[in-house]
Amino acid sequence: MSTVLDQIEQQIAKLSTKAVKKNTGNIRTIADGVAKIDGLSDVMYNEMVAFPGGAIGIALNLEETEVGCVILGDVSKLKEGDEVTTTGKLLSVPVGKALLGRVVDALGNAVDGKGPIDAKETYPVERIAPGIMARKSVNQPLFTGIMAIDSMIPIGRGQRELIIGDRGTGKTTIAIDTIINQAKINKVGLASGDAKFRPVYSIYVAIGQKSSNIVRTVAALEAAGALEYTIIVAATAADNPANQYIAPYSGAAMGEWFMENGMDALIVYDDLSKHAVAYRQISLILKRPSGREAYPGDVFYLHSRLLERAARLDGKGSLTALPIIETLAGDVSAYIPTNVISITDGQIFLETDLFNQGIRPAVSVGLSVSRVGSSAQIKATKQVGGKLKGELAQFRELAAFAQFGSDLDAKTKAQLERGARIVELFKQPAFSPAAIELQVSILFAMQKGFFDPIDAKKVVAAAANMKNFFTTRKDALLTEIRNKAALDKDLEAKLQAACDEWKSGYTA
Amino acid sequence: MAAAAKQAQQLARQLFKLSVVDHVVSTDRVAGVLAYVEKHAPANAVLVLKAYHRLIAVELAKSEARVEHAGAVAPTALAAIAAAMTKNYRRPITATAHAHPALLAGLRVRVGDDVYESSVSSQLAALSLSV
Repeated sequence: MSTVLDQIEQQIAKLSTKAVKKNTGNIRTIADGVAKIDGLSDVMYNEMVAFPGGAIGIALNLEETEVGCVILGDVSKLKEGDEVTTTGKLLSVPVGKALLGRVVDALGNAVDGKGPIDAKETYPVERIAPGIMARKSVNQPLFTGIMAIDSMIPIGRGQRELIIGDRGTGKTTIAIDTIINQAKINKVGLASGDAKFRPVYSIYVAIGQKSSNIVRTVAALEAAGALEYTIIVAATAADNPANQYIAPYSGAAMGEWFMENGMDALIVYDDLSKHAVAYRQISLILKRPSGREAYPGDVFYLHSRLLERAARLDGKGSLTALPIIETLAGDVSAYIPTNVISITDGQIFLETDLFNQGIRPAVSVGLSVSRVGSSAQIKATKQVGGKLKGELAQFRELAAFAQFGSDLDAKTKAQLERGARIVELFKQPAFSPAAIELQVSILFAMQKGFFDPIDAKKVVAAAANMKNFFTTRKDALLTEIRNKAALDKDLEAKLQAACDEWKSGYTA
Repeated sequence: MAAAAKQAQQLARQLFKLSVVDHVVSTDRVAGVLAYVEKHAPANAVLVLKAYHRLIAVELAKSEARVEHAGAVAPTALAAIAAAMTKNYRRPITATAHAHPALLAGLRVRVGDDVYESSVSSQLAALSLSV
C-alpha cells in the first residue's frame, strides 16, 4: 500500500512545480462533431486543441467572437461550458514501418486488436506539398498487374492517377489488385537480393465506407499475402465526419515518411467523393458560405493540397496516389469529378455498360488516359502494346458501324475480329494481377496472331492456359524478360518458339 | 438575420472602442454609451448590447487576474501576482482571490483566456492521463 503511495508521490514530485500557462476557452455549442468555442484567443489555424476526457479537436474557423473546431474522438461526454485548451501543436500521426500490416484509425491508433503500434516518429497530418525544385519527373513504372492498364494507361511512381466510375464498377478492385501486385513484386524483388530493387509499400485509406467492406478488403489483402506491405487507414461510415475528413491527410503523412526516407509508396484514397461530402457537412455546420452543390468554396483546395503531396522526389523516394471518385449515372462532368480530374495526371474511367457486358476490369479505353504516358512504361510493353489503344479505339468505332448490318470488307472484318480478341484478352478476374513479363508474353502472342484462329469466346480460356504454360514451363524466359525489360531479337525468337510450343499443345 | 447580426456586431465594436482608454475600460465611457443607446435606440438594440456586453466582458477579464486557491492566500502574494501580470501583459491588472477547494493545493490564475496552472489537482489530472 505504502509502496504504491510512494510511487505516486515520486511521480508528483517529478512533475514540474512551475506554473503551466494554457490558453483556454469554453464550449458554447456542440453538434455533429463540431464545437464552437468562446475564448482560445491565442489559437492558431489547424492547431490541435484538447477537450476534457482526452478528446482532441482541430481549430478550423477562427472568427472574431468564436472558434470553430472539429472534434476527433468521443464527443458523447462533452457538454456546453467545458474547458478547452490550446496545445501549440499541429495534429500528428505515427509513421514508419511499424504501421505495416496494421489497421489504424484517422489518428493512427490501432483498431485491429493487435496491440499498440511501436512507432518511433510522428508526422504532421497537414504538410505543405514538395516544391518544384525538390521534384523529379515521373519515369519509373508502377505496375498494377492489370493488363489493360499497364499496356494502355501506364502509371509511374509519383503519379496521381484517378480511378473513376459509378458504384459497383470495380474501382476498389483495381486499387486492391494494384496493392496485391506491389506485394508480389516486393516478394520477388527482395528474394532476388538485388541491391537496386526498390519495394513499394502501400497505404489504403478507406473513407466513409461500410465496416464490412473494409473487413473484406483486409481479408483479401491478407489472403494474397499483401497485408504485410500495407497500412490500412479506416474512417468508416460510422465515424464522425471530422475523422473522415482527416483520414486521407493522415494516410498521406504515413506515405510521406516512406517518400522522405528514400522508399516508394502507393496510396489509395477510397473514395474522395465521400471525403468531399464529409467536408461539406463540417463546413455547413461551421456555417461557412456554401457554393455549387452546397460544397464550400475551398473544396478544390481540399483535394489539390492532398494530391499535390504525391510526388517523386529528387534523391529520395516517391509517393504514388490512386484517388477514387464515385460518379452518379456516369456523369464525369459533376463538380467533384471535374475538380479531381483536373488535379490528377490522368484517369481510369470504368463504365457500367462494359461491366454489365462482362468486360472486367470495365476500363473505358476512350475516356481513360495517363498524362505521364509511356515514359513510365518499360520498353518491352511499348514494343508489344504500343498500338493497342489505337487498335481498340478503331475497333469500337467500326463495331458501332457494323451494328447497322451492312456488308463489311475483309479488312474491316479482320479488324473487328482482332478487336474482339483484344477485348477478351484484357478480361482479368479480381485479385489476380499478372506480372509484367507475363503480360508482355501474352501481348506478344496477340501481336503475332496466336489468338486469331481461336474463337473469340474462347480467348479468355486460351489466355489463361497460356499464362499457366509460361509460369510453369517458361520461368527462365519470364525472368529474362523481367531483367532485360526490353525485347531484343534473341528474346523475340525465344518468345516465338515458346508460343509455337504452346500452340502445338493447346486445343481449344 | 445574418446581416442584422453583422451590423449589430460592427456597431458594438465601434461602441467598444469608444469605451476603452489606455487598455482600460472606462466606467464613465460605458455609462455614456449606454445612455446613447437608450436615447437613440439603434436597430437591433438587443443584439448590439449583447455583442457590446461580450466585448466589454472579454476586455474586463483581460484586466483582472482571477486567483483561485485551495488554502489561504496572503495579500502580499496577491499583490505580487498583480504586479507580475501587469508587467507581463503591459497593462494594469488587478488580482482578486476566489476560494476553490477542488484544487487541493496550489493556485490557478486566470487572465482573460490565459490560465496559469500550478495546482495539485491539475498535476494529478496530468498524471492520470499519462498513466
